[in-house]
Amino acid sequence: MTYVVQSESLSKRYGDVLAVDDLSFAIEAGTITGFLGPNGAGKSTTLRMLLGLARPTSGQSTVFGTPYDQLKTPARRIGAVLEATDFHPGRSGRDHLRSLSWAVGIPDTRVDEVLALVELQDAAKRRVKGYSLGMRQRLGLAAALLGDPDLLILDEPANGLDPEGVRWLRDFLRDFASGGRTVLISSHVLAEIAQTVDRVLIINHGRLVTESTLDELTAKVGGAVRVQSPQLDSLAEALQREGIVTTRSNDHALLAQGTTKEHVGDVALAAGVAIHELVTEGSSLEEVFLDLTSGTEPQ
Amino acid sequence: MSQLRAELLKIRSTRTTIGLLLGLIALALLFTILTCTLSPINQLITEQDQASLLSFGSIAGVFSALAGVMLFTSEYRFGTIRPTSLFNPNRSQLFASKITAGVMSGLVFGVIGEGLVFSIGLMIWKIRGVPILMSGANETELIVGAIIGTALWGAIGVAVGSIVPNQVGAVISLLAWGFVVENLVFGLLPKIGRFLPGRAADSMMGPLQDKLLPGDVGTAVVIAWAVVLGVVGLVMLKRRDVS
Repeated sequence: MTYVVQSESLSKRYGDVLAVDDLSFAIEAGTITGFLGPNGAGKSTTLRMLLGLARPTSGQSTVFGTPYDQLKTPARRIGAVLEATDFHPGRSGRDHLRSLSWAVGIPDTRVDEVLALVELQDAAKRRVKGYSLGMRQRLGLAAALLGDPDLLILDEPANGLDPEGVRWLRDFLRDFASGGRTVLISSHVLAEIAQTVDRVLIINHGRLVTESTLDELTAKVGGAVRVQSPQLDSLAEALQREGIVTTRSNDHALLAQGTTKEHVGDVALAAGVAIHELVTEGSSLEEVFLDLTSGTEPQ
Repeated sequence: MSQLRAELLKIRSTRTTIGLLLGLIALALLFTILTCTLSPINQLITEQDQASLLSFGSIAGVFSALAGVMLFTSEYRFGTIRPTSLFNPNRSQLFASKITAGVMSGLVFGVIGEGLVFSIGLMIWKIRGVPILMSGANETELIVGAIIGTALWGAIGVAVGSIVPNQVGAVISLLAWGFVVENLVFGLLPKIGRFLPGRAADSMMGPLQDKLLPGDVGTAVVIAWAVVLGVVGLVMLKRRDVS
């Protein structure tokens, strides 16, 4: 297994506050990983430590097997966007990119390429203070792409974007990852990135809460199938014969646990039971996320 | 070298440095035209009188220091320190590049500031028929001292910006130091005050005042200030998290 990012017992303390607490995880090459947690969970602090901007209180992290600040020209392997506002407002978008690319010897032709890639070529010579938030997000992304990196790390990239911007970002990330490259994307809203990521790392109060594929997380949604019928007793018996646990919610409905509405419908048909209502009830993916991130007490 | 190119581009690509340069030009022209035109000839009868007026170009040091301060504080103010540090995590190299860029921009400020004051001042005096008393060697010492002093102020500004990343705090600290603290200490305790960086830089332009240090000692003192502040600035840059 090739790990692109590894964090081992990473901790960061600011005075009395333990922002990141003994956090260990690894990210495989070629995946899009969502790094989730509520505001203040320690996501940004963790990313800053991964990127050599903040020194861990204890533990260590590596990117491509090496601490970030010891990589020779990290911008050629890793692109990162931490804030949508990291620009001098009086500098043009193109000069912003050139002030970064020149530091690592990337030619101006690449600057123009990434400007076209994020569809900012027409605004390249305008001062950044005239850019919309969406344009600033894309300029940040352009900076991250300058070195044609294999790993993209984005901190809350969808913050403040309108639906069109979110869709653009989703399509872009899918396209980026389709070539086998790796993305680590943080968010405090699972729904924002659920359609994009393969895996999720969920943290709260600086601690790892869960690490799984999105499918595994979706399986936790489970919930129940609510079914209404004039023959509830017969239906309950038929479902129980199939090993499905049922509970009665009121005089005219059953809740069938751990199954799908299609299965319940098939069982009812086979048993010759009429059905008046058949719906999936239960927690959404977002509710599972909220459950997972509300159970850990702060230090 | 690549990082230095990038730092020089940062200086050129905003209006801040241009604004400082225009401010310096306006101030130098205003002062030179007024004082050299209006000073009575009987107040220009010694070499020291004339050198004192022509040394006004060293005010470029203030502008150079401010431009130097901006090299770090703008990065913190606008958050560009994050992408800058991501592209070049070697903070020693980043610091060295900013110091060099500060010195280079300081040289430009120095040449323009002292060049304007000196050339226009002499021209006005020639038109007025004021005899020029300064020797060629003293003229050279004045011009070179002002330019090098201004360049060193650029380095000091960069170091101060690294020590105090808050832009307003750094600018106020620098101006308060230059215009209040140094004048106060030099006025009350000249034997101590002459070792402060502003007064030591003045001594680099020749014997403008009797209480100043000899030129070579003054040069060494300014360099020492730049080195000490630079070391403190570098240590703080390396130890400080980029939030």
